[in-house]
Amino acid sequence: MTTSNLAHTNRRSVLKSGVAAVGGLLTASTVLGRPYLARAQAAKPSQLTMLYATVEADSDAVKTLLPQFKSLHGIDIAMDTMPYNALQQKVFAELASKSAYYDIVIVDAPWMSAVIDNIHPITDMILDSNLTDAAEFDLTDFIPKVFYDTAVFKPSASTVHWSQSGDVDAKAIKQGGFEIYGLPIQANALTMSYRKDLFEDADNKSAFQAKYGKPLAVPETWDDFVQVASFFTRPRKRLWGTTLMAGAGDWATDDFKTMLASFGGDGYMINDKFEPVFAGPEGVAALTFYVDLINKYKVTPPGTTSASWDTAATEFETGLVAMSMNYHTETLNASVHGTMDYAMVPKKVQYGPHFGAMMLSVNAFSKNKEWAYRTIQFLTGKASQAAMLPLQLHPTRRSAYEVAAKDPSYAQKFGNFYPVLGKSLENGVGRPRLKNYSDVDRSIWVAVNDAARRATTPEAALAKAAAQVKTQLAQAGYTPG
Amino acid sequence: MAIPGAATAGGAITGPPPPRYWVRHRVALTGWGLLAPALIVLLIMSVVPTIYLVMFAFQHVDLLGPGTKFVGIQNFERVLGDPEMWSDAGATALYVALAVSIQLVFGMALALMLNRKMRETNLLTALFILPLGVAPVVSALIFRELLNPVYGWVDFYLQSWGLMGDPVDWLANPLTAWISIITLDVWQWTPFVALILLAGLQGVPQEPREAAVVDGAGPLSLFWHVTLPLMRPFIAIALVLRAIEAFKTFAGVYVLTGGGPGTSTTLLTLDMYRIALQDFDVGAASALGICFLFALSFVMSRLLAVLAKSTDILED
Amino acid sequence: MRKLAPLLLRLALWAILALTLFPIVWMVVTAVKPADMSQTLPPVWVFRPTMSNFVSVLTGKTYASQNFGVLLLHSLIVTVASTLLALLVGVPAAYGLARVRFRGRRAAATWILSTIMFPPAVSVVPIFILSARLSLTDTYPVLIVPYAAFSLPMVIWMLRSSIKQIPFEIEEAAMVDGLSQLAMVRVIVLPLLVPGIVAAALLSAILSWNEFLFALTLTRSKVQTAPVGLNEFTSMYGTQWGQLTAAATVTVAPILVMTLVLRRRLVEGLSFGAVK
Repeated sequence: MTTSNLAHTNRRSVLKSGVAAVGGLLTASTVLGRPYLARAQAAKPSQLTMLYATVEADSDAVKTLLPQFKSLHGIDIAMDTMPYNALQQKVFAELASKSAYYDIVIVDAPWMSAVIDNIHPITDMILDSNLTDAAEFDLTDFIPKVFYDTAVFKPSASTVHWSQSGDVDAKAIKQGGFEIYGLPIQANALTMSYRKDLFEDADNKSAFQAKYGKPLAVPETWDDFVQVASFFTRPRKRLWGTTLMAGAGDWATDDFKTMLASFGGDGYMINDKFEPVFAGPEGVAALTFYVDLINKYKVTPPGTTSASWDTAATEFETGLVAMSMNYHTETLNASVHGTMDYAMVPKKVQYGPHFGAMMLSVNAFSKNKEWAYRTIQFLTGKASQAAMLPLQLHPTRRSAYEVAAKDPSYAQKFGNFYPVLGKSLENGVGRPRLKNYSDVDRSIWVAVNDAARRATTPEAALAKAAAQVKTQLAQAGYTPG
Repeated sequence: MAIPGAATAGGAITGPPPPRYWVRHRVALTGWGLLAPALIVLLIMSVVPTIYLVMFAFQHVDLLGPGTKFVGIQNFERVLGDPEMWSDAGATALYVALAVSIQLVFGMALALMLNRKMRETNLLTALFILPLGVAPVVSALIFRELLNPVYGWVDFYLQSWGLMGDPVDWLANPLTAWISIITLDVWQWTPFVALILLAGLQGVPQEPREAAVVDGAGPLSLFWHVTLPLMRPFIAIALVLRAIEAFKTFAGVYVLTGGGPGTSTTLLTLDMYRIALQDFDVGAASALGICFLFALSFVMSRLLAVLAKSTDILED
Repeated sequence: MRKLAPLLLRLALWAILALTLFPIVWMVVTAVKPADMSQTLPPVWVFRPTMSNFVSVLTGKTYASQNFGVLLLHSLIVTVASTLLALLVGVPAAYGLARVRFRGRRAAATWILSTIMFPPAVSVVPIFILSARLSLTDTYPVLIVPYAAFSLPMVIWMLRSSIKQIPFEIEEAAMVDGLSQLAMVRVIVLPLLVPGIVAAALLSAILSWNEFLFALTLTRSKVQTAPVGLNEFTSMYGTQWGQLTAAATVTVAPILVMTLVLRRRLVEGLSFGAVK
């Protein structure tokens, strides 16, 4: 990837120019596909190793499938896991050392631009009928948005987004000059959980009606949200309206970009031309509202300006809040004696919950690439995803959501979670594709945290972050234009 | 305690310094021979990394792609031109100064108290050194939980004893976050300092104290004019060892505050970790590492001067 | 008044001790608490203690990929080996620096002490690259050698001052009696060095047992140590406080027991023979 071709590439819309080259590429892909046909049965290893996330991508669910794979193919899958807070370092370290140890690695969407040279593209294997039964595997079953955001990248320009939104079509991807770099397995999106028992409580209902002149309902807009959250905030009874994750960390950036998108801004935060676009009027309005929730309306529990996703989860679990926004199913402690359900994160002018999926990819240095591919194909297949539902996998296939919708036991166990997650993914906003995203991410969360604890104003915090991000993008060779 | 005659009388391993050239040669061989295994281990862990750092600092090192190339002093320009690095360097120096001085004061007080003969002194000493054994990752996680304003015990008990009104979000305000990270280090390391000082107190000759008491010195002047000067070598050792370790602090602060709120508790080691092991920008990390090592070797030379002035442990 | 002062001193000491042990007490109490009580306020002090957290941590019934007991075993191997290595190379070096007069001795001594300043956060990347090139990632030596090097300067300096406190006349007399140098060191010097060696070994062991950054960066699963495993109990979904504190208690216990048993030697060894 060079600076010069980046400068001229218009991200997310490169396909337009690529269409002209379709004919030539079609031939190229058939030629490229041939080596796999020639040696369809690669030497079979007795064991494959996989680096995976601990709970954040639901390793418990994946574990349950491994015996089945073993009985099908006679291959043991040795799975090592790391918690998310150390996972990026671990994955990058493995790939940087060009080690063949892990055949399969988990890759989170924002890392891909940095590690693209070390991940083996699997488009040809998907198109190879000896390796993939197209009908059974059914690529079109993947949620297109999740699939494109997570797995489809342009080898020569890792910052470019695939612009289509229709069903996933490996041939079209190849023809567009893109490649598929893995298969999404866990799709996380910001969803709202709420205390059903508090919303259904008769006293609460009548008190809310009396105070606001309308029925108490789960809020769908931020304006309603402020009212409901204020209504439930009763510090003396150790109850607050909502959690937020305004502490210094990745979670604060993700909170902000959800707000930014819902206030009508570009939730990607960096536009096609490598310009920061989060400090404009929508950004300032979004961050001001976010800060106001904490400091003006005071609907969040103490500790919000140092909170992260685990503290938010604990606060909901222990019954301290009426509502919470997080990336997974939640539970209430037995001592809370409450009930709960899920809803979409509210909107201002539109929905824009932050989402990001993790995929299983083939290590470019693996000595067993074909079997690694077969493994991830198995693990992300229709049957597997459906089988992992009871253990709270966040599926990446539409069929899994249909299974969850049809079987009442899921509604019983997880309430609305799967329908809400499915809809949130449809409306979700991903992240910019930058090899130094972690730098950009940090500048933004520092701004959000600074503003949230009123060390500075939202305008000043965002302006400072935008200036820093400009420098960071220039240092990474991303020139605006 | 120290045996003045030992070094001079010993000279070489077999008696007084031998005059003949080949004997001197053999003595040197014995000396270096005894040192060699230790030197090899230390070379692997200090000189080899330094060579790597110097090599990488002038390159753009892309471990994840093909982009490695020579870039001159660009990495240094970037690191030294970043105002945050300077404020983080200041934060690191402040952290060391605060943590170590508080530990010395508390450690001295604790050592003085434990030096009194009581029935339970041994038990107390044993219990007091427990924090030393807790892994920094664990103690930081425990502190974070205890300091949580809604379910932590610290705010709860401070409130229920009427010592505090509204709950304090310790980690969300630079001042209280600093109090938290310093408290963590003080909690963990004061026992270590107290142990060194206790060893000193037990080794200090009693005659000067007894003479001063006969002369009518009060407890305060006794401590100030007699005990403290006698304790100087031990204070120096505790100061040097703790200062060096405090400069290297990483895991505790990383887990407790992650460098926040904002960037207010970001120490240089946290920057090193972020640039090196999260961004994998090895070139910039190496440049920062070299600058850090330069600063540290200056500090180290000052600390060695302190040791040389107050103790004889640097002497032959 | 005469009797009041010691009483006050005692009270003060016990109060400070209570404050100091507060986090450790919280850790142990949480480890034996039923799960849904661990976060409740006011803190629950009366409950039926449960060993279930310890059981699940030590039998691998957690969501972590590795049984924590196995990680403790890795930690034990790494700690014992690195401490032995530090002593094995440290004792001769200390003896050489204390007793042999040769050119460059002072410079060597100062250099050895100065290597203590090298922050692990700086050396971890070069060592990571080196270990990847030599295919040493996830092997015992890749932790044992660095850990030995971390504590070696302190070990050498503690032992050097201990040796210097041994009257040289004893060694001379022994050699006059016909003992060889090596036998003299073994029979005369080493026994006198025991307090120093114990103190140095204990400090070295604590450093190795608790190290996090190198262990996280240089291991996968075969050599992964306990501190890295402890980190796995906290996740995006919340922290498993019961399991974390149970695992932490198990991790801390051996160090605490050793410190308790060896505390007197530790105090002796820490004096560094520093009196001027």
